[in-house]
Amino acid sequence: MLLSMNWLKDYINIDIDKDELVRKLNLMSAEVEGLEKMVEATNLAIGFVETCVMHPDSDHLHVCVVDTGNEKLDIICGAPNVEAGQKVIVALPGANLPGGLKIKKAKIRGIESNGMICSLSELGIDHKYHQEDGIHVLSSDAPLGGDPLAWLSLDDYILNLDLTPNRADLLSHLGVAYELGAVLNESVNVSNPDPEEDQEKNPVCVFTETSDCESYYARVIKDVKVGLSPRWMQSRLIACGIRPINNVVDITNYVMLEYGQPLHAFDYDKLVSGQILVRNAKEGELIVTLDGKKRELDPADVVITDGNVPIALAGVMGGLETEIDDNTTTILLESATFSPYAVRKTSKRLALQSESSNRFERGLDPARTRLAANRAAELFREYCGGRILRGINYFDVNDAGDTVILTTMAKIESVTGKRYTEKELEDVFERLNFRAKITDDDITVYAPSRRQDIKTYQDVIEEIVRINGYNNIPMTLPKTITTGTLTDIQKQRRMLRSFMLDLGFDEVTTYTLTNEHNARMFDDSNKKVIKILNPISEERASLRHSLLPSLISVLKYNKDHKQDEACLFEIGKGYFDEGEEEFLSGIMNGSYRMSKWQHDQANIDFYLAKGIIIAILKKLGLEDIDFQIPDKKLPGFHPGVVANVTSKGKKIGVLGRFHPELEHSEEIGETYAFELNLGRIFGCGNKNIVMKPLSKYPSVSRDLAVIVDKNLPAGDLVETIRKMNMKSVRIVEIFDRYEGEKLGQDKKSIALSLVFQDDGKTLSTTDVDNFVNKIVGELAKKCQATLRE
Amino acid sequence: MEIKEQLAKIVAEAKSAAEGIKTPAELGDLKAAFLGKKSEFNTMMQQMKDLTPEERPAFGGIINAAKSEVTAFFDSAKERLDKEAVDAKLKQETIDISLPGRQMYVGAKHLISQVIEEIEDLFVGMGYTVEEGPEIESDKYNFEMLNFPKMHPARDMQDSFYISEDNLLRTHTSPVQIRTMLKAGGNKPIKVICPGKTYRKDDDDMTHSHQFAQIEALVVDENTSLADLKGTLLVLARKMFGEEREIRLRPSFFPFTEPSVEVDVSCHKCGGAGCSMCKGTGWIEILGAGMVNNNVLEACGYDSSRYQGFAFGMGVERVAILKYGIDDIRAFYTNDLRFNRQFR
Repeated sequence: MLLSMNWLKDYINIDIDKDELVRKLNLMSAEVEGLEKMVEATNLAIGFVETCVMHPDSDHLHVCVVDTGNEKLDIICGAPNVEAGQKVIVALPGANLPGGLKIKKAKIRGIESNGMICSLSELGIDHKYHQEDGIHVLSSDAPLGGDPLAWLSLDDYILNLDLTPNRADLLSHLGVAYELGAVLNESVNVSNPDPEEDQEKNPVCVFTETSDCESYYARVIKDVKVGLSPRWMQSRLIACGIRPINNVVDITNYVMLEYGQPLHAFDYDKLVSGQILVRNAKEGELIVTLDGKKRELDPADVVITDGNVPIALAGVMGGLETEIDDNTTTILLESATFSPYAVRKTSKRLALQSESSNRFERGLDPARTRLAANRAAELFREYCGGRILRGINYFDVNDAGDTVILTTMAKIESVTGKRYTEKELEDVFERLNFRAKITDDDITVYAPSRRQDIKTYQDVIEEIVRINGYNNIPMTLPKTITTGTLTDIQKQRRMLRSFMLDLGFDEVTTYTLTNEHNARMFDDSNKKVIKILNPISEERASLRHSLLPSLISVLKYNKDHKQDEACLFEIGKGYFDEGEEEFLSGIMNGSYRMSKWQHDQANIDFYLAKGIIIAILKKLGLEDIDFQIPDKKLPGFHPGVVANVTSKGKKIGVLGRFHPELEHSEEIGETYAFELNLGRIFGCGNKNIVMKPLSKYPSVSRDLAVIVDKNLPAGDLVETIRKMNMKSVRIVEIFDRYEGEKLGQDKKSIALSLVFQDDGKTLSTTDVDNFVNKIVGELAKKCQATLRE
Repeated sequence: MEIKEQLAKIVAEAKSAAEGIKTPAELGDLKAAFLGKKSEFNTMMQQMKDLTPEERPAFGGIINAAKSEVTAFFDSAKERLDKEAVDAKLKQETIDISLPGRQMYVGAKHLISQVIEEIEDLFVGMGYTVEEGPEIESDKYNFEMLNFPKMHPARDMQDSFYISEDNLLRTHTSPVQIRTMLKAGGNKPIKVICPGKTYRKDDDDMTHSHQFAQIEALVVDENTSLADLKGTLLVLARKMFGEEREIRLRPSFFPFTEPSVEVDVSCHKCGGAGCSMCKGTGWIEILGAGMVNNNVLEACGYDSSRYQGFAFGMGVERVAILKYGIDDIRAFYTNDLRFNRQFR
């Protein structure tokens, strides 16, 4: 919200350093985005062009003699519209103009120029506000040698407030004046308009058929002459970011900026009937709005009609049919309030946001509807030469009374933690211009209608605290005694993250939203991808099922930036119709724990990744971990280097090498990846650990090498021994694998390390031999294994 | 007496010989020569038989005394040789400790996780629990119950990604507060913080990210006050930005709190004097906060005449950006390892 400081000074004395004003507003009111001079220029004077001749060496430059009151200066001017006899804005030598331009004496094609004749654009007024192409010509009564900025009412400061949606009251100069009154502890002087009416009676009848119109005031002004509005009014509109158009439109805008009440002026003679009927639009009804666009209406829209056809979209935009033009002589002025929701709905649906809709959406002061109509009428009479017809015809169901709020000293203390004195509270209410009664503990506050945001005691407390000062609130800690702790799952997630880091993986965080292809890339279940209805782009339109595509992107990015080795992980969610599932996803590329020192590094392969998965799952207390060949193809993975990870027979994740086609297309080389479903892991570890007594008797180790069919999974040997359930077999491990010509082409040798121990006696060599023979026999039977000599 | 002089001479000879020994072999040879069967001591002992029994003990005593003197010389020579041998071996085993260590590479925790864990730890220490919730939320929990009615201009403050008319990606972690209050059933005090991913429909640039992390806190009890909020925020500001920090509150607006405030912390770079980081003001905005709006308490089953609460919420990336001088929020999601690994 842009505000003119000169305008605010019409109502309130502002005698305070600029920085201090900004600080106070920030701490007590609203955030100040800026408080800057409207025109950043120095050393300007009003000059009179005595003579103006063409420059002898140029086809467009003029040589002017300009009287600035004190002296006569030769000034070269390139503007085509400069003429002798004009009053102009002169930037004298030494002047600073916006954009860092400095004016100095200079020779231009052999002739000395002692200053510059300025356009409004050169003073920093955007071209859209004045649409003048040459220098600005002042009226002939401008005082010679005077300050042109003061003459043009451009000697102003612009206050830019960043308003929150609740403070609709600050969308007007009057509202901000009241706020400054509270902030600076100054009184606010406002006089109500008192329009001088003609004898002729206002002929307009006002009706409404919709509850979305809460009030409607109509005035008629006759014999209006459309022309330019006064300079000061134009300057104030420009200061507030509104382009001056003509006196009629400017006055409606001016009063909106003054009172916060949007107004609309119809060309009365263009109305078919002399009445106003407000109603909801009919299905398929059409209106051409002021911007020339044809709009199809919806029954939720509120329209102003002349009893028959729509002539304006209530609160949003007027109709082209009844627009004010240069020949307009009679104005029908509307000042009304509409349902904020109805206005917002229409403005959203048609993507038509305006100064007017912005105010209606946030709610208006019902006490100002009539005042604004009268104020505008007054200005029409003064600046358009109109006659105000007698009477203001209206419809109004609004309650413009104060909102009465009851609270207590004790409640205020309980909520704020500060005991305010009666005097402190009285001071706050006085500054705010709120009536209030304080009797013992009870407080009654009468919030005026301009503060529609004050409805409850919480709102009143906010006013007290901000005006008295947030810095006066003490600092304590909550008295509520509670035990703070992470849940088991949160602890496990923390432990997992820390363990992954210790294993040499870097943690990454990637975007949840991706394209549809990536969203479903690793999903073998073909579940539906959840899509965003209103995405920023197709690249961020789908919620991912797997984190792996994002990890591939991160890997690729880092490889492109010469970071050749990467083990990465992310803990994050996949999103499905059935709900959100948390994953630990990892990707391994290059060599593990890279180091050039004596080639001290492990090559990443399936078995390293498998070992890491086992370490992770054991760390989380999982038991009965197994790796199984998937019974259906897992997209994205190498079909021969992939496994489902299971615990107690239930799938908890997947591990494998990426499909070579994927590795090739992404240019990442050999890469292993895993994704574990943490929902099936967290909290599933063994919690009931009971100590097992240690055997007092020594253990005996034996190694065993057997030859089996090359295609037999080596794990089957271990599984076979385990299934024998021999109580003395304590450890079975594979420690080597060998293939060679001696064994035959379709054979391989697997070396097993066995550890035997008994809880009741020392095992003899014969005992162990018997165990080994039994095992060899079982392996021969189940796995067609033969002992390797 | 001749024998005494003779012994003194042997002892002197043995001493100088022992001191000159260089190798274990030399030691053996000399030891045999001085103390062995063919030694002069032995020859002298042979003379014992020519002495009277009365003279023998004195004679033997003199010789044995000299002999143990000599033995001691060779013992210390042996000790010296052993030590020299050990020293030589140690010297030979000495390595170049400046060569690199075997790498035990430990990964870098993502900065977002670091900040979240640090804040979680602070609040868990103060008796808070950590609550989580889904990222796909209903409009009801994300907006309506937080006092953002449909068609209210406050909704413009948070542009959202919708997945259906009633469901969206949460724009803040505040719906977790709603879930927590509903779960508590309207009659238990609450002290929670809620970290998590949030989404707003913003184009990504240096200062905007369509995805970001937030941490919110909610305290509800019969006597929870604005002063409690202010005190808690001071603890947080000092933990995150240094013990000398001060805070200040400025009026603001959020539909779910009343009063609502923006919270500034004194600039940790200049200490409040004004610099480029704080744009000359000495203060940096870090978060939004307020007293829970009664409409929210009531919607969640809390009797607002009995219970009151405070809430605050901050952007995790923003905290990290300020703390570590990061100039582009997208860096958190690019995961350039050269960036990620700087923060450990």
